[in-house]
Amino acid sequence: MVDPPEFLVASNLYKSFGGLKAVNGVSFGIRKQEIFGLLGPNGAGKTTTIRMLSTVLSPDDGDVVIGGHSVSRESDAVRRLVGVCPQELALYPELSATDNLVFFGRMAGLSGREAKTAAAEHLESVGLTERARDKVDKFSGGMKRRVNLAVALMTRPQLLFLDEPTVGIDPQSRSHIFDTVEGLRDDGMTVLYTTHYMEEADRICDRLAIMDHGQLICLGRPSELKAKFGDPEEVTLETVFLELTGRSLRD
Amino acid sequence: MLRPLYIALLELKLFLNNRAELAFSIALPTLLFALMYGALSSDSEVFTPASVVDLDGGPQARELVQRLDSLSAVKVEGRTEAEAEAALDRSAILFAVVIPAGFSAALEAGEPAPLVFRQRGNGGDTGQIVAAIVRGIARDMASDGRVRVQTQRALAGSGVSPERIDAEAQAQMAAMRASPPVVVKLRRPSEDPAAESGDGLFTQLLPGLIVMFVMFSVTLAAQALVEERRTGTLERLMTTRLSVNQLFAGKFLSGMMRAMFQTLVMLSLAFVVFQPGSLLAFVELLAFALLAAAAFTGVSLVIGAVARTRNQAAWAAVFFTLLMVIFSGTFFEIVDGSLMHSISRATINAYAIDAMQNIIGRGEHLGQQWLEMAVMVGVAAVALTLARLLFRITPEGR
Repeated sequence: MVDPPEFLVASNLYKSFGGLKAVNGVSFGIRKQEIFGLLGPNGAGKTTTIRMLSTVLSPDDGDVVIGGHSVSRESDAVRRLVGVCPQELALYPELSATDNLVFFGRMAGLSGREAKTAAAEHLESVGLTERARDKVDKFSGGMKRRVNLAVALMTRPQLLFLDEPTVGIDPQSRSHIFDTVEGLRDDGMTVLYTTHYMEEADRICDRLAIMDHGQLICLGRPSELKAKFGDPEEVTLETVFLELTGRSLRD
Repeated sequence: MLRPLYIALLELKLFLNNRAELAFSIALPTLLFALMYGALSSDSEVFTPASVVDLDGGPQARELVQRLDSLSAVKVEGRTEAEAEAALDRSAILFAVVIPAGFSAALEAGEPAPLVFRQRGNGGDTGQIVAAIVRGIARDMASDGRVRVQTQRALAGSGVSPERIDAEAQAQMAAMRASPPVVVKLRRPSEDPAAESGDGLFTQLLPGLIVMFVMFSVTLAAQALVEERRTGTLERLMTTRLSVNQLFAGKFLSGMMRAMFQTLVMLSLAFVVFQPGSLLAFVELLAFALLAAAAFTGVSLVIGAVARTRNQAAWAAVFFTLLMVIFSGTFFEIVDGSLMHSISRATINAYAIDAMQNIIGRGEHLGQQWLEMAVMVGVAAVALTLARLLFRITPEGR
């Protein structure tokens, strides 16, 4: 079977803050309609990498091409293609779920009517239609996470960045998010997914890469990575992760 | 093109949704203004306490105490000598008038009468005031005594009884006191026709209060900017099709709208209640407030760009506001040519207050406030340039 073409190609990315090399020569590609996992301990450079891929940060060197457009030179074209669900709950808590979605939709270029229609549709897809008019402030952690995801989906992006979307939520909400993400992939969306939960990455990701100290240290299907350390049926992804990144504390 | 406006409208909505912030921005200044206006324009008098020790006990001593006590601004507190000394020792009072024995006899004889002022240091402001008043009363009484004695001497042997002479002299002097050669009238600015074009308490206070609270509100909005950076909404906005310049313009516009909303509410309320000027003055004040809002919003964006935490932004805003309020002479008159006047010229508030007082108080027009308008525009331009250079989307920078 022929692998689908790469929708995102990151080449030799570098980013430093002061003397700290946050990303140090990272290259990888994400195929169309795959869920690509980006794993790594805290401070490995995952968030900085996503910020560069999503046009928030400019790389010091290197470039990223998404859907044929350079992030450095055609950021507006890239932004039409991507949706970002950040690790933080980047929402306005004093506004209702609908108002949050409509606002970010309008910032993404939707008209008022389009934004309202899309907001209703995506709130339904994350199971929050009943609470659409309630202030986000009153929501549970899981519900806020789902609103966070719905905002990222407002423009029906071709590439979705999910930065630890399941932190601090109950199993039901987590399962709902898994189902949503897999459904999006099945509908043709490409997803970059970061998480600290290894079993989650094992379950949901088609391929994954592990970063440490600003560099990519391995890339492949979960089964391929596990096979490097023993029987893939017995070795867990957590074992692979700890073998590659060490056991010392990072925080 | 419309995205900055959407951001501004969103922020206005957040502002109106936040009851605590609304209370701080609108209700609190309105209440403060009402309290200050009520307190400073009321008819209540300030009493100056005067400690008096009467060791004489004679009619002239009682007369002195009675005349002192009859003054509306003075309240006599009679004390024994020991009480007065003790109070002076512990600085409970700084000044006491002691009327020594023989005071009445000397005055009645037309001779110099003794009075003793006991004081700590210079006696304090109150002591100096009481001393001046007592000197004046004593001088009048001495003059009365001399006139009485001289009249007695002049009419001695005329056949008129000394009692009749004394009664007549006393009646004449009482009549003179009843219609003194200098008449002082009390007239407050609110009763003064000139106040309509000038110096009422209202025109003194209102511009300062408006400027101070607009400044507080706008500069504290810098906290919200820092908070947005922390929670990631700024970063998320940068993954939409919004440019950094549009985001920045949106934040600037939202600061302006917030300031103008607050100014509109406060000015409208003030004009409805106190009717200090014409509709034109109201419009001109609003127009000037727009420029002032631009200047203060520029400053708030600088604070928001530089501060790394919400606390840093809050303290920077409070410090900046207090500095401006104190050195601009918001609540007190600054004498032209003084050092304080020179310092005040380095504050934005001084120019903003001057212009608003000129419009509301002196009936000047906006076009005459060119210096103040130029200062507002200049501050806004410099602050905006600086803020744009320092503006960061993520905590690490962009």
